[in-house]
Amino acid sequence: MSANFEPNIVAFLCNWCSYAGADLAGTSRVQYPSNVQIIRVMCTGRVNPLYVVNALQQGADGVLVSGCHPGDCHYMEGNYFARRRLGMLKDLLEFAGVDPRRFHMSWVSASEGHKWKEVVEKTVEDTREAGPFEGFRRRQIDW
Amino acid sequence: MDLDKLRETAAEVAGRDDVKYLIGWKKGSYGYRIAPAFVEDAEAAAELIFSPLCTANLATYLTLVEKLPLPRGQEPDDRKVALMVKGCDSRAVAQLLAEKGIHRDEVVVIGCPCPGMVDPDLLAEKYPETEEPAELKWSDDGFVIVRDGEETAVPRDELLAEKCRLCRYPNPVVNDIMLDDPVETWEPAEDEGVTEIEEKEVDGRWAYWQEQFSNCIRCYSCRNVCPLCYCQDCILDRLNPTWVNRSVNFPENTAFNIARAFHLAGRCIECGECERVCPANIPLGKLNRKMAREIRDKYGFEPGLEPEGEPFQASYKPDDPEDFIL
Repeated sequence: MSANFEPNIVAFLCNWCSYAGADLAGTSRVQYPSNVQIIRVMCTGRVNPLYVVNALQQGADGVLVSGCHPGDCHYMEGNYFARRRLGMLKDLLEFAGVDPRRFHMSWVSASEGHKWKEVVEKTVEDTREAGPFEGFRRRQIDW
Repeated sequence: MDLDKLRETAAEVAGRDDVKYLIGWKKGSYGYRIAPAFVEDAEAAAELIFSPLCTANLATYLTLVEKLPLPRGQEPDDRKVALMVKGCDSRAVAQLLAEKGIHRDEVVVIGCPCPGMVDPDLLAEKYPETEEPAELKWSDDGFVIVRDGEETAVPRDELLAEKCRLCRYPNPVVNDIMLDDPVETWEPAEDEGVTEIEEKEVDGRWAYWQEQFSNCIRCYSCRNVCPLCYCQDCILDRLNPTWVNRSVNFPENTAFNIARAFHLAGRCIECGECERVCPANIPLGKLNRKMAREIRDKYGFEPGLEPEGEPFQASYKPDDPEDFIL
């Protein structure tokens, strides 16, 4: 794939940890790639696996889901459910032939601005290697 | 299996005051055809059969029945539904019970230990469909086809359905009445279909499914026949939000099939009905069996074994695997 391909990445961040972590990265002036479009959700347990499929269909080349570390969930157990579901989704997407580098999940707490930077860099790098994801796009996106 | 005993038991159960009807198998209109039978009296019970052709999973009818609003002053019909089940069907019932899709008091489960079913497609290919009634029986080491009074013995491996080759639970896991002694379980075959795809490169898998899913005509037969697809408000029918577009093209078909496979992850009991009814012959079973295999290996969970257990996607363990997390 061409080296100057800039991937679109949709990131679903939990309100309590990862979103605050990304915010911290911003306020601490940590430089990270600008390819991520952040969508704030209240908890990773709220991320329907079909969000990921839909994001890939509607123009994303990669998807990132990030939430609180296990045990730190604001809602006690939301990220445990998310881990189980999205882990299965990753297996399923891989089996269906979607490059595993297109879907990532991470735990980033509110104080881990630098980890957020690393996660984004890794995601962008992986997605860039995987290339544009044309085969799965929803046709007639703009009517 | 002794058909007389089956019919006798069925007549007795269907005649009970607290049973609305009994669902079983009967001979279809011609050839190898099998039809579901809704039995309310002894006369209808005399038509019931259990043969290697009874592949259909009747557990679907438990949730398929339409519940119309009652006219004022009318009492709801609280009688039970009796259901004949094979091993795989009984797992569907157990899973429905675990999900509270049905209540234990609503069903009478009649267990039929199953020595293995034939694959209807393979059968029709090798011994072409006739208009005359034809029958199949089990013998000690295979099947016997009875046509025009002539009996043809066929080795078991020649016609055995794929789901039965992989079957680990031929005996019903939940039952109220057992019609026969449990059959001896056999060593399940290695699931080569799934392994073969697993071993391909990512692009090869994408190409494989592209070929398969391009044939999908979005008839939703797989959903309709599935005993575990029973949502009143299915995401596939919804327009707002539109989870899956209705247009029939490769990306949408893929999204639909991924969505369906995901909704059955940790729930599919591998009865193979989706694959059987698919008019485009898409190997849907492979998707479901892959998920079942992952969940068995990684999480040590098998659906449809514990009627009282917790559903897979509605539970978690603190030590679930998380090697995929960055």
